[in-house]
Amino acid sequence: MESIAIETNGLTRSFGSRPAVDNLTLTIPAGKVFGFLGPNGAGKTTTVRMLTTLIAPTSGTARVAGYRLGEDNESLRRSVGILTETPGLYDRLSARQNLMYFAQLYDLDSRKASSQTERYLRMLELWGRRDDPVGGFSRGMRQKLAIARALLHEPKIVFLDEPTVGLDPEASKIVRDFVRELRAEGRTIFLTTHNLADADELCDLIGVFQGQLLHLDTPARLRAELFGEGTQITLVGDAAPWIPIAESLSFVHSATATADLLTVALDNPSEQNPTLVAALVAAGAPVRYVTPQEHTLEEVYLQLLVNARVTRQLVEAGR
Amino acid sequence: MKRVLVILRKEWLELRQDRLILIGTFGPAIMLTLLPLLGMWAVRRAPDSPARDDTTLAEANAALLGLTGREFGQAILGQQLSVLFFLLPLIIPSVIAAYSIVGEKTGRTLEPLLATPLHTWQLLLGKTLAALLPAVAVTWGLSGIFVLGIRSLAVSSRVVDAIVSPGWVIVLICCTPLLALVTIALMVAISARVTDPRTAQQVSGVLVLPVVTVVVGQVTGKLVLNPSTALGVTAILALLATLALWVATRLFGREVVLTRWR
Repeated sequence: MESIAIETNGLTRSFGSRPAVDNLTLTIPAGKVFGFLGPNGAGKTTTVRMLTTLIAPTSGTARVAGYRLGEDNESLRRSVGILTETPGLYDRLSARQNLMYFAQLYDLDSRKASSQTERYLRMLELWGRRDDPVGGFSRGMRQKLAIARALLHEPKIVFLDEPTVGLDPEASKIVRDFVRELRAEGRTIFLTTHNLADADELCDLIGVFQGQLLHLDTPARLRAELFGEGTQITLVGDAAPWIPIAESLSFVHSATATADLLTVALDNPSEQNPTLVAALVAAGAPVRYVTPQEHTLEEVYLQLLVNARVTRQLVEAGR
Repeated sequence: MKRVLVILRKEWLELRQDRLILIGTFGPAIMLTLLPLLGMWAVRRAPDSPARDDTTLAEANAALLGLTGREFGQAILGQQLSVLFFLLPLIIPSVIAAYSIVGEKTGRTLEPLLATPLHTWQLLLGKTLAALLPAVAVTWGLSGIFVLGIRSLAVSSRVVDAIVSPGWVIVLICCTPLLALVTIALMVAISARVTDPRTAQQVSGVLVLPVVTVVVGQVTGKLVLNPSTALGVTAILALLATLALWVATRLFGREVVLTRWR
């Protein structure tokens, strides 16, 4: 049976009468990268703070790394690592002193604290600057140091709040590769980000959130559910004349043309594509390429937010 | 307690690396010690005059009765300036706590810190000790130097008795930690509202007012630090420190710090 890393049930947090997180119910299996997406002010940071015991929920329950929220918060905090929105480092202390401080707060003995500090400073390419005050570090170096800090005590679950924000492409790549390494080690990653390309590349599971959880699924299933399956056929010349041929097939839902590109919506491309292409070729269509239709995670995300807004407006209109 | 010591070590490491804080902390303390000793040395070199028989003075401050002109000069100067030592437990922790507590807030280090298994009381205790211990050590240490200086510069033992009175010693020993605790508690309260250490320090300046009142009381003869007054002041301060620390603990709750400290 797949073990569960994070499980929430009706988790809610209000500030005054305003709910920041409303009735969040989700299950994240261990060893997965979970992307938690949502616009600014959606309640993502509040959720992370609740799951890391920094703030208490108003109602609902959660279990993180096997510990129930509010019952054994100290053990829970030992099992998770967190990269906060801003790195939050001690500028006057060196990189090594910053990490040693946190390692000792996680109760690592001096030898272990020292070896873990060295391990992560080397891994994140900061060993050469280990004795420099952090105040002189670039944004990317600070972010890497903060990531190292979140991992010193080898947590089972790592919460990364916007890990690549403000980083140059090279530093972003280092962070992304590092997330992959963490997943390979079997850790669960709870990733909040606005960088949808990162989420698409890294996440096994996506939750789109705006006060409430709008959708939770794998990126592939989210795409399929929202936009259906499809095939794109690039032709030599205008694609519009070949629309009736495609639509004459019973399994084709619709076909559209943009310049030389014919986009065909169907249920099962892997089985139906040979028939579709054969029909087009038999009718004399000059087929150049056949590719699966791809929707970016950004399109999926924006569509989900639009759907949520429309639903909200309908509910309000019905009152 | 191990985590408290870890915090304490880190606070002092940061303190040692900031020259501005070190000067702001220990500069005034050294000045307040040297100033009265310099005055005592100057009076010692002045010409003497016979003792005065002043009953008004005797009622206000019996220790000054029957002193010669030079003795009187040294004693009155020493008494007034010795009260300034009570400023040290206000100045030193206010500088350290401003940077240590408000600094965590401005450096955005509180969230990762509170995400560790650290208990809030351990964090508050570590921060409190980081500011309290230097304040008490410096105040008592410099007071010791002050007393030694008085003993070597005083023209007679009557001057030493007038300055280093039992009341002054009681207040120095008992009130120094209490004054420092009240200051630290106030800094925690101020930290919830201000966004930079300098503002916190400026606001904490109100704490100087009670000490200034004592100085004025001494100068005008309305207040003499005899043992009973000293014990009364200690009792009031102990109550005040308890109340202030209780409020500080509530203001330093994990959730309060993260959601209401802006």
